[in-house]
Parts: sequence; C-alpha cells; structure tokens
Amino acid sequence: MSTQGREKSREMRAARVAEMAREQRRHRTLRLVGAVLIIGLVTAIAFAVARSITSDGNQEATGTVVVPAHIEDRAFPVGRANASVTLDLYYDYMCPACGAFEHTNSDDLTRLIEDGTLRVNLHVMSFLDQMSQGTEYSTRAANAYATVVDRAPDRVWAFHTALYANQPAKGTDGLSDEVIAEIATDARVPAGVADTFTDGVHQGWVVQSTRDANDAGVSHTPTVTINGEAFTGDWSTPGRLAEAVELAAADGQG
Amino acid sequence: MDTFALETRTRRGVTAVWVVMLLSSLASLVASFVLSVEALTLAENPTADLGCNINAVLSCGTVATSWQASLFGFPNAFLGLVAEPVVIAIAVAALGGVRFPRWFMVSAQCVYTIGLVLAYWLFYQSMFHIGALCPWCLVITFATTLVFFEMTRVNIREKNLPVPRRARKGLSSAVEANLDLFVVIAWLLVLALLIVLKYGAALFA
Repeated sequence: MSTQGREKSREMRAARVAEMAREQRRHRTLRLVGAVLIIGLVTAIAFAVARSITSDGNQEATGTVVVPAHIEDRAFPVGRANASVTLDLYYDYMCPACGAFEHTNSDDLTRLIEDGTLRVNLHVMSFLDQMSQGTEYSTRAANAYATVVDRAPDRVWAFHTALYANQPAKGTDGLSDEVIAEIATDARVPAGVADTFTDGVHQGWVVQSTRDANDAGVSHTPTVTINGEAFTGDWSTPGRLAEAVELAAADGQG
Repeated sequence: MDTFALETRTRRGVTAVWVVMLLSSLASLVASFVLSVEALTLAENPTADLGCNINAVLSCGTVATSWQASLFGFPNAFLGLVAEPVVIAIAVAALGGVRFPRWFMVSAQCVYTIGLVLAYWLFYQSMFHIGALCPWCLVITFATTLVFFEMTRVNIREKNLPVPRRARKGLSSAVEANLDLFVVIAWLLVLALLIVLKYGAALFA
C-alpha cells in the first residue's frame, strides 16, 4: 500500500473513532436524562400513592360516626313493622343499575309498602364516590338521605325515590348541593332540614354503613334480599320483583 | 475479541427481546380471552351487568357495556384473539432461529401500530369518558406497549423500517446503546402515574 493510501486510511479511522466517541458521549447524556426522568416518575408515583393512602386514613380517622335517629339494625326501615315481607336493599345513589332498579320497581315497592305487605330496609352505600369528578356525589347524597332519616323520617321514601328519579349520569359532577336540597323540599322535606345537608353531619356514618354492607358480604349494588334471602330473579323486568314479594307474603300466611 | 463479545451480547439481547414479546403477547391473549368470555356472558344474560361491583374503580359493568367496548360492532377483545396468536407465532419462530423477510416485519409493524393506537384510544376513553378502568384492559394496554416497543426495536436493529438513512443510523445506534429501554420504562411509568393520580384514592382505599 502506498504511503498516501495508508495515511488516508489512518485519517478515516481517526475520524470514525472521533465520531464514535461523540456518539458515546451523546448516548451517555441521553441515558442520564432518561435515568433522571425515570427516578422523577418513580418518586411522583410514590408520592401519589402515599398521598392517596394518607388522605383515606385521615378521612376514616376524622369521620366521627353520628348514627341518625330511626336507624334500626344498621338500616332505615320503610313500611309497617308488622309487614309480612322484609326486603333489604343495598344501593349507592350514583349507581346506574340502582337507578334502573328504582325506575322499574319503585312504583311496585311503594304500593306494597302502602298496603302493609312490605317493609323495605334501606342500606345506603357510598363506594362510587370516585365516579363524580371529585365531588363525592355518593357521599353527599347519602348524607342528605341520612339527615332526612334523622329529622324527617316520614319523608325518606319520597326523597329516596326522588333522588333516583333525578339521578345524574355516572362520571359527571353529580347533582349540586343546591339541587339535592331542592329535590328534598320538592319531596316535602322541611326546608330547615334540607338546609343542614351541607353540614355533612352523617358522612362518617355513611362510611360506616358502606363498611357494614361490605362486611355483610354485599359485593355489588343493587343487592336485594327478601326475608333475608338473596333475590336472584330478574328485577329489570317490570313486575318480577313484586311477584316475588307477593309470593313470599302468601308463603308467610299459608 | 471485542467483536466477539459484542456479537454474543447482541445475540443475547435479541433473545431477550423475543422472550419479552412472547410473554407480553401471551398476557394480552389471556386478557383478550377473559374479556371475550365476559362479553359473551353479558350478551347472553344482560342482567349480569346490571350491577356495580364494589371495587368500582376497576369496573362497574361500565367498560364492557360502553359503545367504545365494541367499536366495530363486536367486542374489541375479539381483535386480540385474532392478532395476539400471530405475534406469539412470530416470537416463537424467531426464538427458533427463523428470520422473516423485510416486507413481513414491516407489515407486522404496521398492523401492530394500529393495534397500539386502538389500545391507547380505549385507555383514554376509559380514563376520561367512561370513568372506570378494567384490570384486564390495563393488562392489554401495558402488554401492547411492550410488544410494540420490542417489535420496533427488532425492526430498527434489522434495518427493516423505511426511514431516511441518517435517521436509521441514529436509531440503530441508539437501540444498540439500549436507549429504547429508558423510553419504554418511562412510558410505562407515565401510564402508572396517570392511573394512580386519577384513581389512587379508590385503589388504595
């Protein structure tokens, strides 16, 4: 090989080595940036997790449980004490399925309650709080309900059905406190009672009620039991639930 | 000696890529299967979904019954049942030493990119519009991301992608330097962060 040629190849090699070194430096910088980014993200996740854990702990610690008057055995009973059939209903005011349940069955239930056949035990829950864009509609609605239980027990059923008749779509902000109060006064809850909804007196009890339902093995809402036995029939077909109640009533008498 | 070391390292790297791809696509297939079965159960028995599960962040019968869940008129999970076995077959064959022609890998990359877009569109919809996450859908989101990155890595390394020469050179040296690893990890962590930020309170209750 000529001297010239050797020189040229040496130059080329030197250029390549320099190029590679440059690239390696660049990669080292990028890797450093990547590592910092990853550490930052992990830290952010750890913070977010820690915050959500502690915020929940606080809620449970500070939520003093004020059990509303007229609660019997963890539920509010609607209907005559001597009714032959008892139906327990576990629900959340945000739950669309509960809304569908009420839409299909609330007239039947009202009729059966009024003719003295049925006593409905209401077990309110608030597990769908995160479905209202941070406004905790489930808790606000349940607290309003508990306040009515406490101070205007004869209006509970009307208020309960009215809340479902005006149920907000899940994933929305839910109903505002003002609208909830309006629905209450429309259901002839005294204005003095509706005005105290925003005090949130019974929020701790709502958490308790949700936990009680979980402990009772309720895994979804609406959960319906008739005389203590799970109702597994199709409540979405009008009349089915009423039939089951009437059958249970007939069994009780016969 | 140097070249030898480099070669074995690269080869081991290649095996790892295909193994990750195989495991991810298996996970996606399992998730698609579970979701398909759920969709069929729902179709058979519409009242099965008429309930809100207590662990509500992760489902309220809401994801499965939304229109987004059957974008093309049938459950999206069926697409996973069709597509994932192909990925599994590619990964297994490659582990066995098969080298696929360029057009094949480029098509696979194209189809999988569409799959990735669909997976992220669904993730976005369930985060911000449906307001519920389903754990099996998340498995698919994470696994699809992994498969996409591994496939892209393979295609960059084998110079299959039709990109300009300069970009190709930069990309392959970046992949050789494992820079893509940082991208995948950061990406998955961003997903995790989004989920924790939006649903943390409910997840860790």
